Amino acid sequence: MAPLKRGWAWSVALCMLLSVSPPVRAAVAPAEYRVKAVFLFNFAQFVDWPPDAFMDPGQPFVIGILGKDPFGTELDAVVHGETVSQRSLVIERYYNVAELHNCHILYIARSEIGHLPQILTALKGRSVLTVSDADGDDQSGVMIRLVNRSNRVRLQIDVGAAKAGHLTISSKLLRPAEIVGGPEG
Amino acid sequence: MSAASIPIRRTLMTALLLTSGVVMLITSSAFCAYDFLTYRQQTLHNLATLGDAIAANSTAALAFQNPDDAREVLSALRAESHIVDATLYTSDGTPFASYPATRPAAQVATPPPDGYRFEGGYLIGVQPVVQGQRRMGSLYLKADLDAVYQRLRSFLLIAALVMVLTCAAAYLLATRLQRQISQPILALARSVADVSSRQDYTLQVPRPAGHELGLLADSFNNLLVQVEAARSRLQSQLGRLDLLHRITRAIGERQDLPSIFQVLLGYLEAELPIDFGCIALYDPADAQAVHIVTIGTRSQTLAHRLGIDQQLRVPIDQNGLARCVAGELVYEPDVGEVDFPFPQRFFRAGILSLVLAPLLVQKRVFGVLVVGRPAAEGFNSTDCEFLRHLSEHVALATHQTQLYGALQQAYDDVRQSQQAILQQERLRALGQMASGIAHDINNAISPIALYTESLLEREPGLSDRTRTCLVTIQRAIEDVAETVSRMREFYRVRAPEMNLTRVSLNRLIEQVVELTRARWSDLPMQKGVVITLQPNLASDLPDIMGSETEIRDALTNLVFNAVDAMPEGGILVLRTRHEHLDPGPQAENTPAVHVEVADTGVGMDEETRRRCLEPFYTTKGERGTGLGLAMVYGMIQRHSADLNIDSAVGQGTTVRLSFIPAQTTLLTVQHTPAGQATQHLRLLLVDDDPLLLKSVKEVLDADGHIVVAADGGQNGIDAFQTAHRSGHPFSLVITDLGMPYVDGRKVAAAVKLESPQTPVVLLTGWGRRLIAENETPPHVDRILSKPPKLAALRAALAELTAVTASAAPIPREQTS
Repeated sequence: MAPLKRGWAWSVALCMLLSVSPPVRAAVAPAEYRVKAVFLFNFAQFVDWPPDAFMDPGQPFVIGILGKDPFGTELDAVVHGETVSQRSLVIERYYNVAELHNCHILYIARSEIGHLPQILTALKGRSVLTVSDADGDDQSGVMIRLVNRSNRVRLQIDVGAAKAGHLTISSKLLRPAEIVGGPEG
Repeated sequence: MSAASIPIRRTLMTALLLTSGVVMLITSSAFCAYDFLTYRQQTLHNLATLGDAIAANSTAALAFQNPDDAREVLSALRAESHIVDATLYTSDGTPFASYPATRPAAQVATPPPDGYRFEGGYLIGVQPVVQGQRRMGSLYLKADLDAVYQRLRSFLLIAALVMVLTCAAAYLLATRLQRQISQPILALARSVADVSSRQDYTLQVPRPAGHELGLLADSFNNLLVQVEAARSRLQSQLGRLDLLHRITRAIGERQDLPSIFQVLLGYLEAELPIDFGCIALYDPADAQAVHIVTIGTRSQTLAHRLGIDQQLRVPIDQNGLARCVAGELVYEPDVGEVDFPFPQRFFRAGILSLVLAPLLVQKRVFGVLVVGRPAAEGFNSTDCEFLRHLSEHVALATHQTQLYGALQQAYDDVRQSQQAILQQERLRALGQMASGIAHDINNAISPIALYTESLLEREPGLSDRTRTCLVTIQRAIEDVAETVSRMREFYRVRAPEMNLTRVSLNRLIEQVVELTRARWSDLPMQKGVVITLQPNLASDLPDIMGSETEIRDALTNLVFNAVDAMPEGGILVLRTRHEHLDPGPQAENTPAVHVEVADTGVGMDEETRRRCLEPFYTTKGERGTGLGLAMVYGMIQRHSADLNIDSAVGQGTTVRLSFIPAQTTLLTVQHTPAGQATQHLRLLLVDDDPLLLKSVKEVLDADGHIVVAADGGQNGIDAFQTAHRSGHPFSLVITDLGMPYVDGRKVAAAVKLESPQTPVVLLTGWGRRLIAENETPPHVDRILSKPPKLAALRAALAELTAVTASAAPIPREQTS
C-alpha cells in the first residue's frame, strides 16, 4: 500500500513539475537572468562590507549595473521591498564606471567586459563586490563570476580580489562556488 | 519456631520489601520517564541543532541553487543513522534536495509547518533556512526514535535489574534487620508465653536492646514482679488459711486440753514454723502468774535451756504478759531490749522475737500462747495476724471442749440417774409382785408353821425321827417365810425389822451342806459328774451378829453358783477362818470372820466379775434369775460385811464373805416362856382362808382360848357385834388384813367403833412390809406376820389382854 501511495505521490509531483516547467524553460534568457538577479541580491546576504562602505546609517544598499542591463525588470522585482541589514536596496545603472561613487555590488555587464581593467582600476581600493557573467577566460580581477555549467549557473569566486576590496565573503558562499585566482591581490 | 511467630516476621519482611520495592519502582519509573523525556528532548534538541547546522550550511546552496552542494550538505547526515529522511525545500516550498540521495527528491511535496514534533514514532522537524534575515527555504528532517526506545529499553532493563538486585539486597538486609525487631518481640512473646503457660511468675523476660522494647520488657518484668509478689502473698495467705483450717480441724477432733495444746504446738512448730512454742494457763483467781501447761515437742530442748518446764509458774510483772492477760496480742520484736525476767530468759536462750497471743473466751483470758523465733524482728504483721486468729480459734475450741466435758458429765449424770431410776422401778415392780406372791405363800404355809410348832410343843410321844423331821420342817418353813419376805426387800440397804441374832457360821455351813446336798451331790451324780465337797471349818470361830436365814440363803446361793460353775465336776471348798487382829479401838468393827466358798470351775472374766453383783445380770441364760449374787450382796450390805470375789477364767472362783465378830459379851435372848400362864380368852378370829382359820383356831383352842372363827370380814364384824351386844364380848379380835369386800382395816374400825377397848391384832401376809414401812393402820393394836409363830401370837395375846384385863376381865375357863 505504502509503495503504491508513494508512487502515486511521485507521479502527482512529476506532473506538476512538468506542467509548470515549460513556460520557464521557454524563456531561457529571462529565466537565466531572473536566477542571476536573485544571485545578485543573494550576494548581499553572504558578503560583509567594511563599515566605511556606508556613509551614514541611512544610506541604502546599492546594487549597480554597469553597462547594458540584461535583467530587464527581473532585478527590480527581486529586490523590491527587500532590505539588506536594515538598509533599503537600490538598483543603480551605470554606463560608465565613473558614474558610480557609492555602490556595493557592481554587476559588470558583458558589454563592458572589454573595459574591465579600467573598471577594476577605477574600483581599486574601494569595497565594491564585482560580479560578471561574461564568458572568456581573461576576467581576472572580477570577484565573482557567474558561469553556466550544464545548464546551471555556477559561481567562480576570486577570493584574493575580494580581499583586496576589503570584503569578507562568507565561507558558506564559498561552498557551492569555485575558487579561482590565488591569494595574490 | 512457633506458628505465631511467622506473621510478625512475614509482616515485617513484607513491609520492608514492599517499601523498598515500591520506592525502587517509583524511583526507576521516575528515572526512566525522566530519562526518556530528557533523552527525547535531547534527541529533539540534537535534531534541532543538526537541523540548524544543516540549514546554515544549506543557505548558500539554496541561495545559489546548487542542489549538488545541498545534497553534499545533506549527506553529512550519514553520520546520524537515525535520520531517515531529510529534504531541503526552496522558499517557495519546492523540494530542492533530499537525503538519502538515492531516493527521489520529494518524499514530501511541500514542507510541513516549522517546528519539531513527534509524529507516529518519528521525530519530525522543519527548520527554516535563513541567511541573514532572509528565508531561503526549509529543511525537513525525519528521525526515527529507535535510539530513544533502545535507550528506554536499556534503562528499563537496567531498572529491572537494579530492582531485582535491590530487592535481593533489601531482602537480605530486611532479614537481618527485621530480626532486630522481631527477635526481641518473639523472645518477649516466648517469655510471656512461658510465664503464662508455666504460671511461673518468678521468671523474668530478657531485656532486648531497643529502647521501647526494653521499656516494654522492663514494664513486663515489673508487672511480673508485682504479680509474683501478689501471688506469693496470696499463696502465703492461702497457706496460712490452710494451716489455720488444719489446726482448727485437728483441734476440733480432740476433746481434752493437753491434746489440743500439743496438736496446736506441733502444727506451729512444723509449719509456721516457730522455734519455740508453749502454752500457759491463766487463772483469774491467781492473777499474779501464769502456769506453763504444755510445751511443744520440738521446743523441749530449748525449754530446758530456757529453764522452762511444765507447771512452771511465771509471775506476771510489767512485761508483755500483763498486757497479754489483759487481752492484747503482744509482739516483742527484740526481747533483748525488754528488761524483765521472763523475756530475758528467752534472750539468754537465743530467742529474740516473741509473740504472746491471749486465749480469750467471752472476753476472759484463760491462757497465753507463747511462740518465739531466734531472729530479732522474726515475725511480721501477717504472722501476728495469723497467731491472733489462731488463738481465737484455739480459745473457742478449748471453750467448746470445756462445754463438751460439762455436757458429757451432765449427760453421764442423767444417764446414771436414769439407770438408777429404771433399776429402782424394776425392783419396785418386782417387789410388788414378790409381795403378792409372798402374801399367798405366807397364807399357804401358815397352817404348816402353826401345826408343826403345835405338834412339837404339845404332841406327846413323838419319836425322835418325827421330832427331827418336824424341826426340819419348821426350819424350812421359817426359811420359806424369810425368803419370800426378802424377795421384795433384798434391795433394801438394811431392813429395819431385821433381827440380828448371834449366828454360828460353822453351824450354818453344816446346815447348808445338808440343804444343798441334792444339788452338789445327787443331781451331778446322775450325769456322772463328781463334785467333792470339802468343808474346812475353823474351830475357834467366833459367832457373828446377823440374820441366820439370810446368811444361810446367801451361802446356799453361793454353793449353787459354785456347782453351776463346775459342769465337769471339781472340788467345792467351804471354809471358815478367823483373822486375829491386834486389839484396838477399831478392831471390834473390822470384818475378821471369813467364810469362803471356793470352786475349781470355769471362773469369770473381768466383765462378768465386774457385773456379777448387778441385779438381773446372769450368765446362766433362762435358768438364772440374775438375783442370786444380788441378794448375797444385799445381805452383805445389811450386815455391814465385806464381799470379795477372786476369779479368773479357768481358774475357778473364790467368794469370801467377811463378817464383824460378835461382841464378846453374850447377849442372851430372853425367851418368854410359852404362854402357859395366860388366862383363857374369848377370841374372834376373822379370815377368808378356811385352812388358816382352822389351824389358828385349833392352835389357840389348844391353849385354852375360846375361839370363834368368822369366815370373811363382814361375818367377823357381824359376829363381834352380835357377841358384844349379847353381853359376851370378845376380849380380842384377830383379823386377816387382805380379804375380799371387807378387809382387816374395816373389821378393825368396826370393832373399835363398837368397843374401843377391844384390842385388834392384824395377822397378815403383808405384815413385814407394814412393819417395815412403819405403817400401822388405825384401830390396829398389833400386827403379826404370817405364818404366825405360836410364841409371838401368845406373847401378843398376853401383852394386849394384860393391858385390857382390868377393863374387860374374862372369866378363866380351863379347856384343855
